[in-house]
Amino acid sequence: MTDARDTTHYVNPAPFNPIEDEVLTPEQERYYQASQWQIMWWKFKTHKLALWSGVVLILFYLCVPFAEVIAPYTPNTRDSEYLYAPPQALHFFHDGQFVGPFVYGQTSEVDLTNMKWVFTDDPNQVQPLRFFCFGTEYKFWGLFDANFHLVCPAEGGTMFLLGTDRLGRDQLSGLIYGARLSLTIGLVGVTISIVLGLFFGGIAGYFGGVADSLIQRLIEIMRSLPELPLWMALSAALPVNWSPVWIYLGLTIILGLLDWPGLARAVRSKLLSLREEEYARAAVLMGAKPQRVITRHLLPGFTSHIIASATLSIPSMILGETALSFLNLGLRRPSVSWGVLLNEAQNISVVTVYPWLMAPVIPIIIVVLAFNFLGDGLRDAADPYK
Amino acid sequence: MTMKHIAKLVLPATVLALPLLFCAGAASALDLRETPGLEADLPPIAERVPLQPLVVDLAAKGRTVGQHGGTINTMIGRSKDVRLINAWGYSRLVGYDANLKLVADLLEAVEVEEGRIFTLHTRAGHKWSDGAPFGAEDMRYYFEDVASNEHLNPAGLEPFMLVDGEKPTFEVLDETTVRYTWSKPNPMFLPELAKSRPPFIYRPAHYLKQFHEKYGDPAEIEKLAEEQKVRGWAPLHNKQDDLYGAQNPDEPSLQPWIRTATGNDRRFVLERNPFYHRVDSTGQQLPYVDRVIMTVVDGKLIPAKTQAGESELQARNLSFADITVLKQGEAQQGYVTALWSNSKGSEMSILPNLTVKNPMWRELLRDKRFRHALSLGIDRQMINRTLYFGLGKIGNDTVLPASPLFKEEFRTKWAEYDPDKANALLDEIGLTETNSAGTRMLPNGQPLEIIIETAGEDSSQVDALELVSETWREIGVKLFIKPSQRDILRERAISGDLVMSVWSGFENGIPTSEMTPDDFAPVHGDRLNWHSWGDYYETKGEGGEKPDWAPAERLMELYSEWLVSTSEEQRTSIWEEMLSIHAEETIHIGLVSEVPQPVVIKDLKNVPLKAFYGWDPGAHFGLHRMDEFYFAK
Amino acid sequence: MLDYILRRIITMVPTLLVISFLIFLIIELPAGDYISNQIAALRSSGEASAVAKLEFLRAEFALDRPFLERYLIWVGLWSGPHGFDGLLQGNWGWSFEFNKPVEEVIGPTLPMTIILNFTTILFVYIVSFPIGIYSATRQYSWGDYGFTFLGYIGLATPNFLLGLILLYLFNRWFGLSIGGLMASEYIDQPWSMGKALSVLAHLVVPTIVIGTAGTAAMIRRLRANLLDELHRQYVTTGRAKGLKERKLLVKYPLRMALNPFISDIGNLIPSLVSGSVIVSVVLNLPTVGPVLLSALQSQDQFLAGFVLLFVAGLTLVGMLVSDLLLAVLDPRIRLGGRAAS
Repeated sequence: MTDARDTTHYVNPAPFNPIEDEVLTPEQERYYQASQWQIMWWKFKTHKLALWSGVVLILFYLCVPFAEVIAPYTPNTRDSEYLYAPPQALHFFHDGQFVGPFVYGQTSEVDLTNMKWVFTDDPNQVQPLRFFCFGTEYKFWGLFDANFHLVCPAEGGTMFLLGTDRLGRDQLSGLIYGARLSLTIGLVGVTISIVLGLFFGGIAGYFGGVADSLIQRLIEIMRSLPELPLWMALSAALPVNWSPVWIYLGLTIILGLLDWPGLARAVRSKLLSLREEEYARAAVLMGAKPQRVITRHLLPGFTSHIIASATLSIPSMILGETALSFLNLGLRRPSVSWGVLLNEAQNISVVTVYPWLMAPVIPIIIVVLAFNFLGDGLRDAADPYK
Repeated sequence: MTMKHIAKLVLPATVLALPLLFCAGAASALDLRETPGLEADLPPIAERVPLQPLVVDLAAKGRTVGQHGGTINTMIGRSKDVRLINAWGYSRLVGYDANLKLVADLLEAVEVEEGRIFTLHTRAGHKWSDGAPFGAEDMRYYFEDVASNEHLNPAGLEPFMLVDGEKPTFEVLDETTVRYTWSKPNPMFLPELAKSRPPFIYRPAHYLKQFHEKYGDPAEIEKLAEEQKVRGWAPLHNKQDDLYGAQNPDEPSLQPWIRTATGNDRRFVLERNPFYHRVDSTGQQLPYVDRVIMTVVDGKLIPAKTQAGESELQARNLSFADITVLKQGEAQQGYVTALWSNSKGSEMSILPNLTVKNPMWRELLRDKRFRHALSLGIDRQMINRTLYFGLGKIGNDTVLPASPLFKEEFRTKWAEYDPDKANALLDEIGLTETNSAGTRMLPNGQPLEIIIETAGEDSSQVDALELVSETWREIGVKLFIKPSQRDILRERAISGDLVMSVWSGFENGIPTSEMTPDDFAPVHGDRLNWHSWGDYYETKGEGGEKPDWAPAERLMELYSEWLVSTSEEQRTSIWEEMLSIHAEETIHIGLVSEVPQPVVIKDLKNVPLKAFYGWDPGAHFGLHRMDEFYFAK
Repeated sequence: MLDYILRRIITMVPTLLVISFLIFLIIELPAGDYISNQIAALRSSGEASAVAKLEFLRAEFALDRPFLERYLIWVGLWSGPHGFDGLLQGNWGWSFEFNKPVEEVIGPTLPMTIILNFTTILFVYIVSFPIGIYSATRQYSWGDYGFTFLGYIGLATPNFLLGLILLYLFNRWFGLSIGGLMASEYIDQPWSMGKALSVLAHLVVPTIVIGTAGTAAMIRRLRANLLDELHRQYVTTGRAKGLKERKLLVKYPLRMALNPFISDIGNLIPSLVSGSVIVSVVLNLPTVGPVLLSALQSQDQFLAGFVLLFVAGLTLVGMLVSDLLLAVLDPRIRLGGRAAS
């Protein structure tokens, strides 16, 4: 700008070719030609926290199919010598020498004045952990017998890295098996709520008019019913003599049934705005049927939003399950979920004596946080052109 | 004791079937001392206690004489539990003493002739908590105007008042004496009066008459009914008349503490009854403690609050699992965690349903070898160690050593852990085939899988069953636990679908021969192991099934004999035969008994450190005479 | 304005009616009813006299009628055994478990429920307002991350557990009695300074516990709204013209961002009420929460039904309040005649 003041008006003598000038750099080319999903992925990648949350969640979800292999014990394996045993510390060096991961053997006795089990490490008993090993027997997916584990205690040794409960059951294995129910309950519930949300939101948003106002009222009603009391009421209505599998399904359906209004609202408002877009109008004018317009032209426009908001509603379902199981309205032993495990921590003063009973809180917090971050990231990425 | 008194008591003793019931001491020898802090408008102590108060000899019981004052704070799990005060107070016409002997309590004396004529003497000068006299009229009011009134009591007299369906003749002999006469012995009568939840065959007539159609002013009754939102005089009367439930603070009572109108549904204040009939040997009127305050707290928080020192006397909602926590708080809060022992026959009992509908199961469960095998296949030692630090006593569901009827074999027969013997027995039955998992096969080709249903209220039952399932696996029996609900369990027992269930053992593990052996015979329809037989008895053959199993028939016979028994020897031998049938047949598969019950005591004296904790007999603190507890200053 | 309020209230009537129907449907879902369960239990224990009494009660409370009739009788739109005597006539029903009218059972708990929810809302606003503004104005600062993280942790911890832990710690550190809304010696006392202080002290834990879940969402929303506004051109213009940052923030963007913040009370209330129910159960607060749980478990249907209806009503009122506040703040809504949904 300083130059401009004291020079005369300057015109570039080179010929101007608008086509050449608008040539895109390879990056730009890639960007403009990329599909919506690709751009979303790029955008999502920049959100590091969300990315890592996704990774964490994948790791957690690995427990679902492979719980038997990952867990050192089964959730109901008991060791009568280790009741309320505290977590065994993992050591690497014994007498200054590197041994690899190992635990010290423990001896237990009853302290009758304080009425509790006392455990003492026996420094002579070094029990190195074994990896890719054969240990406690289980029935893989309830189908065939196997005893292969990622990690096992030493032969004749123990490995209670998160301690044991009152019957001497390993907490860590409980958590790993519990992930199976706790993590899937949200997914199934969200699937139900997506289906319902799409259906009702779709009708309301696309057809408008009477259908819209009816569904609007319905949504309003559902939203003014407080969730938890309703969950409580509905779970209390589940027959207690149902098998655990049915109770589980019933719970997911209840969780899903009450969650759809939020999604339906999102779908509706998104549809309303998309319907006004030119490409949608064009399709209608060209004589496309509503079904085609919705599925071909409108749905892709907000799938990403649906995924994002579904992700955000999974954690509330996970928390809901824990709350219900905590109140004895949900799952019960012998089913194992994080809520069931937390149920043992109900008596807060027991927790002061045996703090490791609180362990299930940790995965709950991590998973809920991860889902929230992931959801935030997805939501940001859902509007990649913004 | 005056001479006249002794004569009166000794004379009928020659014809008594029951041991003599009497009160100790006499007021004349006592120098009554006024209770401090009472309201000024009350009459002096001498006019408040009966002419012959019940004098408690604390020294003889190994207790100390206390002092008045203080408040016992305690917690209950729901507001209905306020009625526990009337169990804990345990003032009965006749009640059990610490040795489980029946003694007169509210009554001055009872005479029993031929086991069928009961003469009840109330104490002269005994007063209700509002100062109105208590006597024969209150008993008459109950019998004639309440129990026999078809509006108040449409179903008629309660079973303990009927012998073979026959009602007693009731007479008022004088102001303090009434007599019940049956044509045959009624051994159920006195034990029933001593129950933790007794039938209250006396009612405060002076108070209740205002609500009674026969005595009250109809306009007034109608107005009151309107106020109480009930329709008609009978519901009104029933609502106001709640001696056990303690729901009506206006109704006078004879118990040591009475409910006051202050407080609400979450906190109940129970003040001393200034007209209570018991005094200590130094002339101080009981109870020592001025008031009991019961706060309603969610059951799950009670251990935590107790540990924080918020209760002076707590056993309710504390369980064995809380002991560690309670012990931990002792030093800081200055309380003591006494370990009483549970007086149930067994902490928990596995109940094979002998009247199950499925014919194959019925045959199997009634086969004594099968039940023996199941019992022998349980490692009770391991259960005791795992769940109770080994502090319980292992064995069958039967009476405890504290009961005079106890014999070692009742507890140990078929109760040792012997998988080899169990396997042999199962083989002998013919269950020799096994599947790939090592589970035996039933005659119908199904694996031997037993579903044990629980009421889902007590998590230690599920824990114990989990332990049982481990050792049953070794004898080829697979166990599934199904947590359910009380009502559903009952329904399934009624329909006959229930195969096996788990429940707490016999309620009364410390019976004497005077107590009704109804738990041990199939006479109640609410039992999960023989509903149909009990129903048959209760409905007099209209419902259920006639027992068609030799041991049950014999138990039935013995029970009927007990009902018309007249002597202690006869009753003892009946009891012993019933108990040995139970031990020999393993009708209940008991696991562990005498499990410690934590009782938290803070600054209270005279509370035993070792005692039985039970409901009937026991009334929780009742048998241990809560009115004698006091605070050390 | 009055017209708007009126219209808004009138639309609530059918909503309430449908809600009441749904609630009645839900509480009637479990098989049997309180009395038939009692009858089964008593019959099996041979107490025939009580059975007769209960049979009478069944007729008395119209439990022997068909479902729809029972519902209408409950609401008071159908003539029951005693004429029209339902919710509309001011009869809240009868609690079998407590054996007294529902209003006597939950009457004392209602004020506490409202106090608790009110303080929680207050807490949520007081905490999230400054933090939201701070986070938006100092986006991506350590403070922003720190507060957001704290908020998320609050969201992620199962709040019943958080409640138990805090309860224990408060007892240890400050000697606060465990559970309840006041020290037990005050329960039946008249209001006094000591009692009020005791209540305040006991409100801290539940307020924090119930509030944390809502606070995180609130901060997130306020922050996003404010960020949107701060990126508008008028802000840039204002800044270019040399307006002081504080004035710039408070004058317009904050006001604009406040609208959704307030309208959010409609979303906040249901979740708070939900949260307060379960937290009350765990912390033993004398609110409707524990009453509801026990009523559900014992199938004390009229009690459970009324509590659910009350809670739903509370939510509706909350939504109404938020709509009204919005209308006051935003003339477009008031004049446009359509409630913001």
